[in-house]
Amino acid sequence: MITGYLFYMLAFLLILFSLGVLMHSSPLFSSLNLVGSMIVLSAMYYLLQVPFIAAVQLIVYAGAVMVLFVMVMMMFDLKHEIKIFSGGFISNAIKCGLAGFFAFTIGATAFMSTEMISGSAKVKTEVLSVKSMAQLLFKDYLIEFEVLGVILLLVAVGAVALSRIKGGTHAS
Amino acid sequence: MQVNDMLAVGLNHYLFLSAIIFSIGILTVLLRKNLIVILMGIELMLNAVNLSFIAFSHFSNNANGPVIVFFVMTLAAAEAGVGLALMVTIFKRFKVVDISIFEKLKN
Repeated sequence: MITGYLFYMLAFLLILFSLGVLMHSSPLFSSLNLVGSMIVLSAMYYLLQVPFIAAVQLIVYAGAVMVLFVMVMMMFDLKHEIKIFSGGFISNAIKCGLAGFFAFTIGATAFMSTEMISGSAKVKTEVLSVKSMAQLLFKDYLIEFEVLGVILLLVAVGAVALSRIKGGTHAS
Repeated sequence: MQVNDMLAVGLNHYLFLSAIIFSIGILTVLLRKNLIVILMGIELMLNAVNLSFIAFSHFSNNANGPVIVFFVMTLAAAEAGVGLALMVTIFKRFKVVDISIFEKLKN
C-alpha cells in the first residue's frame, strides 16, 4: 500500500525532472534537473529491492558522470539560449508526434500484457544481496566483465587522444 | 476497490513510466540544439532502459537484470567520457557547442 503511494510520488517527480531537462533554456539547469532525476531513480531502485544498484546509481551517475558534465560545462561560455529547439514548427511537430506514438505503442503493449503481473507469486520478496550479485558477476558474466574493463581502457586512451588533436575536417 | 487496484503497482506501471522517460529522452535528442543537452538526453534514455531491466528482474524473480544494469552504467560512463572529449574538441575548433555548425559542410 505504502509502496503504491511512494511509486506514484517518485514517478511524478521523475517525469517532472525529465521534462525539466528537455525544457530548461540553460544547460546548467538542465544538468541539475538530470541530477534530480538520477536521485529519484535511485530511490525507485531502492523501492524495487536492489539497494546495491541504487548505491551505484548514486555514486556513478549523480556523482561521477554529472560532475564530468558540469566540469566540461565550466570550460564553455554558456548563456541562456534564446532559441533552444532546432528545426521549424512542422519538423518539430513531426518529431513530437513520432515520440508520442512510440510512447503510446510501448505503453499500450505494457497494458495489454497482463499475464506477467497476474503471476504475482513470482515477485521477489527478499533484497538482492551483494554476495549473490558478485557470484553472478564473477562466474556467469566473467568474460563480459573483462571485456568491459578493456572498453574502459580504450575509452581512457581515446578521450586523451581526442583532446589532443588540433585539426578537423574543415579547412581553416 | 478502485483505489486499491491503482495502488497495487505492477510490472506494467514501471514499463509505462520507462516508456515515458525514454520518449522524453528521444525528444531531448531530437529537439534541442545544444550538444551537451543532447548527451543528457542519451543518458536519460539509458536510465529508462535500466529502470525497465530492474522492473523485469523484480517481477520475474531473476537476478540477471541488476548485473546487466551494472554493465549499462559502465558503458554510459564511458560514452559520456568520449562524448565530452569530442565536445571539448568541437568547442576548441568552432567556439560554439551547437549542432547548427553541422548544417554547412564546407567552410
